[in-house]
Amino acid sequence: MTRSARGLRQSMCAVALALPFLAGGVVSAKAEATRYPLTIENCGHQVTFDKAPKRVVAIGQTQTEILYALGLGDRLVGTAVWFSPVAKRFEAANAGVKRLADNDPSFEAVVAQEPDLVTAMFEWHVGPNGIVGKRDQFAKLKVPAYVSPSDCVGKDNSGAGDGVRTQMFTMELVYRNIREFGQIFDVADKADTLIAELKAREAKAVAAVAGNGAKDIPVTVWFSSKDVKGDAFLAGKNGVPAYILAKLGARNIITTNEEWPLVGWESVAAANPAVIVVVKMDRRRFPADDIDLKLNFLKTDAVASKLDAVRNNRIVVMDVGATRAGLDTVDGIEALAKGIESFGLAK
Amino acid sequence: MSHAPIAPNWPARIAIALAALLALVTAIALAVTIGEMKIPLSTAFQALGNGVFNLGYPVSAIQQGVIFDYRLSRALLAALCGGTLALSGAILQALLRNPLAEPYILGISAGASTGAVAVMILGFGGTVLTLSGGAFLGAIAALAVVALLATGAGGSSDRVILAGVAGSQLFNAATATIVTTLANAEQARGVMFWLLGNFGGVRWPDVWVATPVALICFGICMLHAKVLDAFAFGADAAASLGVAVARVKIVLFATTAVMTATMVSIVGTVGFVGLVIPHAARFLVGPAHARLLPTCLVIGAIFMILADILSRILVPQQILPIGVVTALFGAPAFALILYRARRAT
Amino acid sequence: MTLAAHDIRWSAARKMIVDGVTLRAEPGRILGLIGPNGSGKSSLLRLLCRLRKVESGVVTLDDRDLATMARRDLARRLAFVEQQASTEVQLSVCDVVKLGRTPHRGALASWTDADEAAVEAALERVDMSERHDQLWHTLSGGERQRVHIARALAQEPRELILDEPTNHLDIQHQLSILALLRRLGVTCILALHDLNLASLFCDEIAVMHEGRVVASGTPSEVLTEDLISRVFGVAVSIRAGASGRRHIEYLIDPSDEGIAR
Repeated sequence: MTRSARGLRQSMCAVALALPFLAGGVVSAKAEATRYPLTIENCGHQVTFDKAPKRVVAIGQTQTEILYALGLGDRLVGTAVWFSPVAKRFEAANAGVKRLADNDPSFEAVVAQEPDLVTAMFEWHVGPNGIVGKRDQFAKLKVPAYVSPSDCVGKDNSGAGDGVRTQMFTMELVYRNIREFGQIFDVADKADTLIAELKAREAKAVAAVAGNGAKDIPVTVWFSSKDVKGDAFLAGKNGVPAYILAKLGARNIITTNEEWPLVGWESVAAANPAVIVVVKMDRRRFPADDIDLKLNFLKTDAVASKLDAVRNNRIVVMDVGATRAGLDTVDGIEALAKGIESFGLAK
Repeated sequence: MSHAPIAPNWPARIAIALAALLALVTAIALAVTIGEMKIPLSTAFQALGNGVFNLGYPVSAIQQGVIFDYRLSRALLAALCGGTLALSGAILQALLRNPLAEPYILGISAGASTGAVAVMILGFGGTVLTLSGGAFLGAIAALAVVALLATGAGGSSDRVILAGVAGSQLFNAATATIVTTLANAEQARGVMFWLLGNFGGVRWPDVWVATPVALICFGICMLHAKVLDAFAFGADAAASLGVAVARVKIVLFATTAVMTATMVSIVGTVGFVGLVIPHAARFLVGPAHARLLPTCLVIGAIFMILADILSRILVPQQILPIGVVTALFGAPAFALILYRARRAT
Repeated sequence: MTLAAHDIRWSAARKMIVDGVTLRAEPGRILGLIGPNGSGKSSLLRLLCRLRKVESGVVTLDDRDLATMARRDLARRLAFVEQQASTEVQLSVCDVVKLGRTPHRGALASWTDADEAAVEAALERVDMSERHDQLWHTLSGGERQRVHIARALAQEPRELILDEPTNHLDIQHQLSILALLRRLGVTCILALHDLNLASLFCDEIAVMHEGRVVASGTPSEVLTEDLISRVFGVAVSIRAGASGRRHIEYLIDPSDEGIAR
């Protein structure tokens, strides 16, 4: 953890203090019951809840899955913004919930569910330039809107792209998200348990590669490219993948702030990474969304095939879920740790 | 062009051609030696020697690949792309008698993008030829739509530009629709990425496709150089000078569509080059197309190579879309042309 | 024998614009087309030089059907000067005149001495030699029209077709352009607005009304008070002018205030 979450006035400090004892997944802290009306600070706005929400629309797969993990599936009346099929363990919960849209839902589709909470994964869906709706649009209809802290704390979404992180993402932002759901829905105990489990998994993965072998090895995370042979969208220095690398002590070869900067392969060659992480996804917008095309490019391109990582077959396939701020982020840490371990880079 | 010598001055012509060639080669040399990876000049030339003549200098495989497979092919394609786009602009400006005409403004690029995206996302495979085929059909469709709109609106040269703007919007919307409805949600999300040109994916096979297209189209254009001059006072004036207006228009519109479609299918759309370069070239050599067209080809090529170098080095570790760089120079030039056009009337 | 139209018709937007016109130009003479606005003069001229296709009837050049000729051959024989052709291209006077050589040059032919001579001669004939290098945009209306005629002459035509070449020119330039055409000795067919100018400069006159030629012949035969009143709807008094040609005076109804005085 590089940094603790800020501005957490109503925090459950006890949980944080109890951390070192949670490795076995045992929860010892007993959280306080939420007192309504509850006001929390969210992405620079005050959001007030008079009672625990009963009709929730989740815009963003990570938000949906966190709610399922907290056992709140019955409160969901609509979901949207799906990147991949719902995680296996949530299939049953998800079956009964209406999917408003695979992609961006319309404002009307959301409010038609008469929600008492709209929660979004990205500020570009609900925020100052929200394409689903702006906060005051929801406020006018008395619908509280919540955006995951992972997309606004230390992140500037005013530009046109995927946003620019001024500070590195940390899992603490996801934990804050979970913790705040715990408060909002008055399920603080479940939230604490979930956080503890995730932290334990993080700690285990880190321990697996602890040792100097993994330290500072240059790594890059390749998301996709417009054209397989063309410039690549690689993980920027502060995004979720960057956190995964940092957590394991590896060094991201990319040093620009943008979430997914477009980088030429010459720049990759100049940095000559020891490990290349290739993202696997269901999306087929760009040809290089296809993992097979990416792997094939690495093996056949005149330059890429000569890189250390490719010649020594040090390629890690990471599921796209791990590149997003959510429960799956931890899967990414585990996948990369396993890779580094198997390549013999860890001692 | 006034008082042109009666007999062609061959030594002067050859000197000018050599100078242009030298400038082009210099630009390519710059493109090959400048980049994110620091490679000594001598190594760069050894790598070129290895690539072209198989000389077997000891150059590391990565450096060899970067110099020969990345930078050289990219520079050559940038040259072909800039040259043909400028050529297309000059042709369209002459045929439509409008100083603002160019493939981008007339929606030909937008149509080619739609075609390419349709082929890619609807899944007919990702080879250069099918993509080019889609881009070509899209370019022709856009040209047809714009021509139809313009004729319906009266056919004056101003209407052609308006029709082009409308056509561009239509095809851009079609592209956005295809991308947003047929691909699922994800980050790195800008649909506009389709529309911004990029030389990053260029390799030798692309150069082998683009070179004959550029050369043949240039040849066709040069055969029509005198005929294009005759369009100065309009289609009727050209016809009364013995020009088969309908045939010439079809041949040359098709030629510009082929050039634009080929380039869009390889690098995406790049605006402003087609607009600005012909004006710059006219400023240098006057309006006679026999000189204007080759000048456009060379200046367009050099401009695009330099713009591509800038796009690679302006932001460390990051590629600026080439369209951004060309627009950076193109937009002020565009303003200047508008200003001059206003003063001229 | 030169250019002739035989019962030609042409329509636009379902309206008959040229409706069965037959006429013939005599070699070396000037044939004037007069008629009110919209009577079909411009369209007829465009049919005569094949800028539009006749729907029925035939236009012949030396008894050959115009439609069967190659456009380039036609352009070497017959030149057309539009009413007010302009351009945004930065051309000099000699650039414009050089365009007249287009039908004489192959796609890859270079500029020959013959081309240069034709251009210089054309400029000489319209008295614009000293403006050789001046930019087209800086010329006055009358000068532009002269340059257009020079461009047409550079085509070395035997027939010249002009659509209201004196339009928008002041009277001095109108007279000098028409005098120039007379001096050329080329067969000319031209549309004119001004009845007195037509009377002064044309050898023959054809009067168009609603797409048809309603009268043709020498000015003295054609320009009658009755015909002008019928076609143009104005009352005139016609008498012999100082030049021996007919002079047409427009008669104003005294009840029309303001103009008579």
